[in-house]
Amino acid sequence: MREQRLQDILEHMPAGVATLQGAELRYGFVNDAMRAVIGQEAQEGRLVAEHPGIIPADLLDVMQQVYQSGRPFVAKAYRLVMSASESQPSELSYYDIALEPVREGGGPVSGLLLFAVDVTAQEQARQRAHELAIETRRLDTRLRVLTETVPQITFTLNAKGKVEYVSPQWYYFTGQPPTADLNAIWPLLIHPDDRLRILYQSDTARAAGTGWNYEYRLRRHDGQYRWLLSRALPELHAPDKPVFWHGALTEIHDQRELSEALRRGEAELRFLADSIPELIWTATAEGFIDYYNQFTGEYTGLTRDELGPTGWINLLEPSEQANAARRWVHSIATGEPYEGLFRMRRHDGVYRWHIIRARQLTDTRGPRWFGACTDVDDQHRLREVLQTQYDELARTNRDLDTFVYTASHDLKQPLLNLRGLFDELRRTASFKDPEEEEIQTMVDGALSQLDTTLQELAATVQDQRGLSAPAEALNLRSVAEEVLLGLRAQVQEAGATVELNFEEAPSLTYGRANLRSIMHNLLSNALKFADPERAPLVQVHSHLSSTGQPTLTVQDNGLGMALPDAPNSVFQPFNRQHPHIGGAGVGMYLVQRIITSRGGHLEVASTVGEGTTFTIHWFDA
Amino acid sequence: MIHIVYMSRAVRPLSDQELQQMLDQCRRDNASRNVTGVLFYSHGNIAQLIEGDAAVLEPLFEKISRDGRHSNVVELVKKNIAARSFSDWSMAFHPLQSSGFDALEGFLLPDHLRQPPSTLTIADAMMVDLVRLAVFGPDAVATEPAEPAHA
Ligand SMILES: Cc1cc2nc3c(=O)[nH]c(=O)nc-3n(C[C@H](O)[C@H](O)[C@H](O)COP(=O)(O)O)c2cc1C
Repeated sequence: MREQRLQDILEHMPAGVATLQGAELRYGFVNDAMRAVIGQEAQEGRLVAEHPGIIPADLLDVMQQVYQSGRPFVAKAYRLVMSASESQPSELSYYDIALEPVREGGGPVSGLLLFAVDVTAQEQARQRAHELAIETRRLDTRLRVLTETVPQITFTLNAKGKVEYVSPQWYYFTGQPPTADLNAIWPLLIHPDDRLRILYQSDTARAAGTGWNYEYRLRRHDGQYRWLLSRALPELHAPDKPVFWHGALTEIHDQRELSEALRRGEAELRFLADSIPELIWTATAEGFIDYYNQFTGEYTGLTRDELGPTGWINLLEPSEQANAARRWVHSIATGEPYEGLFRMRRHDGVYRWHIIRARQLTDTRGPRWFGACTDVDDQHRLREVLQTQYDELARTNRDLDTFVYTASHDLKQPLLNLRGLFDELRRTASFKDPEEEEIQTMVDGALSQLDTTLQELAATVQDQRGLSAPAEALNLRSVAEEVLLGLRAQVQEAGATVELNFEEAPSLTYGRANLRSIMHNLLSNALKFADPERAPLVQVHSHLSSTGQPTLTVQDNGLGMALPDAPNSVFQPFNRQHPHIGGAGVGMYLVQRIITSRGGHLEVASTVGEGTTFTIHWFDA
Repeated sequence: MIHIVYMSRAVRPLSDQELQQMLDQCRRDNASRNVTGVLFYSHGNIAQLIEGDAAVLEPLFEKISRDGRHSNVVELVKKNIAARSFSDWSMAFHPLQSSGFDALEGFLLPDHLRQPPSTLTIADAMMVDLVRLAVFGPDAVATEPAEPAHA
């Protein structure tokens, strides 16, 4: 009974159990677990040597030796190759093997007891642990190489803030010996001005369990303080329970000096720009203004926000805005400098002339625009006044020349008469007194001199002004437009409309300077004698008369004048119809002289309060 | 009524399909909320003008500027306007596959863009010209040679 129960227990043990009997080692009892290891060949009575199953030869040898020597044998984690079955490929297993000699009743060894315990799982775990240890060592080495070759100083602090590790770079940088007491020395190497701040900040970060990121100066081996950036992160073992802080120190001295210099430079430039009594601004590469100096605010009375990135356009005189905007877009597209003369509104609504200039600067920060608006209003107005005065003087000068020319011409006939009369006198009268004889000669000489002077006068202005230039075919419109260009200031000031209609007789064969002089006088008179009650309207028409002769009418809606009964007296020199209005008063006289000298005549019709119409008949048929 | 103009950068290039989805969604949503305007896109550069009631536009711009598809959103102008300048909402870009887009409603080719509407002030029209230039580059935007400014 007991034997049977023992057998049952052995049969169901999770370890393999087998007895091997006799010196020739035949299988005796083999439990299921052992048969699963060795294979189905392990049947009672069979020779082990003939049916070893998966038992390798070396183990068979050991069995023989244990039997002969009587000394037990134990092999830990013995490797067995499980045979491949149809369903499974062969695989490695590990067994703790024990061979125990069996003696019956204290006699000689009569058999062996074989135990096999599967330790595959343990062995695999052990092997994995081993591989992991190797990998860890490898990573550790890599980490060490990295931490010791990067330019940064790396460090680890513990929860109390004591240094656990610092990379060798720290020693290179500070020049401290490897024996230095890091915790004592480190704070002393921090710049005195930064020390308290840094100790406080790192304490605070450790207390809060957070990382940090700050800059401070650390004393280098040569005694120089250099700016470093310190960054560290906590290593958390339990949530919100940091044990270590790992971090790195990066030298940022040069960057910091550079950005400091940039900041200083920029601040100085801003200060400079703000001190200049001119509108100074900068714009982005896209053309949006991002800075206006202080004076811009004072001049415009607007804040930077109110001005906005393109708001400067609104400040320009409305008729100039579109052109200014188009040119700015063009400059942004091409990079070409911007330059223009514009009227710009001051805070009180007054427009002042400005030269706006901008140029593009390209540097490492990409293109940017720098601009200035220079107030040139005073110069501009002065120039306009001077131009008007110059025009006026030039015209008067021309008129005077013409006057001299026509006057000298007009004086020729009386001089001729005088000489005739004088000759007649000499011929009929008898002079007895020799003094009278002398006076006669003197009068004669004076008359000749007068004649020469008149001729020379006429010749001089004639040359200068081309007044006697030969007639040429002239385009009336182009001459009229030329004259109007000279009068544009007057036209603008009066707000006058001038209508030109030369369709019927577009050209005229005439002296160019004469035609210009005539047109100039008629048009400037029409503007000058405008009625302040109405917007001046001047209509200039060319016609052909019924006989095919060219005529020109200049009609205005001005003050008009009372015409005297005697024809032509309006045009006596220095006869002024409207004494309150400026002018030399010789203009109309000249016009008439020119026209008559070239074989035509001038007609005038006028109504006071309605206007005046001049009609020129260029050539009397 | 206000209008807002901004510029931004797409975080990564937008595909034809993404652009078309955006066009569809924005056109639908904007039409229902009475939002009009135009969007320019090229090589990750974005500029947009939107106009509508302040009560609609301000939260919409908030949402757009938080949209993860773009970043560096820079508001250039936000101001009251007297009237709308755009009749609907449209988008201008160069599709990679040009076919098919011509027929889409609200789609414009950048070279087919008209001059900014004359209802905009000259300063605002210039801003539209400048953002268009910034998005599409000088080659795509022919600037006519300016006449010299005179005294
Ligand atoms: C560049 C850009 C422009 C956009 N413009 C508009 C727009 O004009 N109207 C609009 O409704 N959504 C616009 N969106 C989309 C919005 O950001 C948002 O995704 C959309 O309104 C859907 O919002 P919902 O998910 O809250 O409905 C734009 C997105 C981007 C990236």
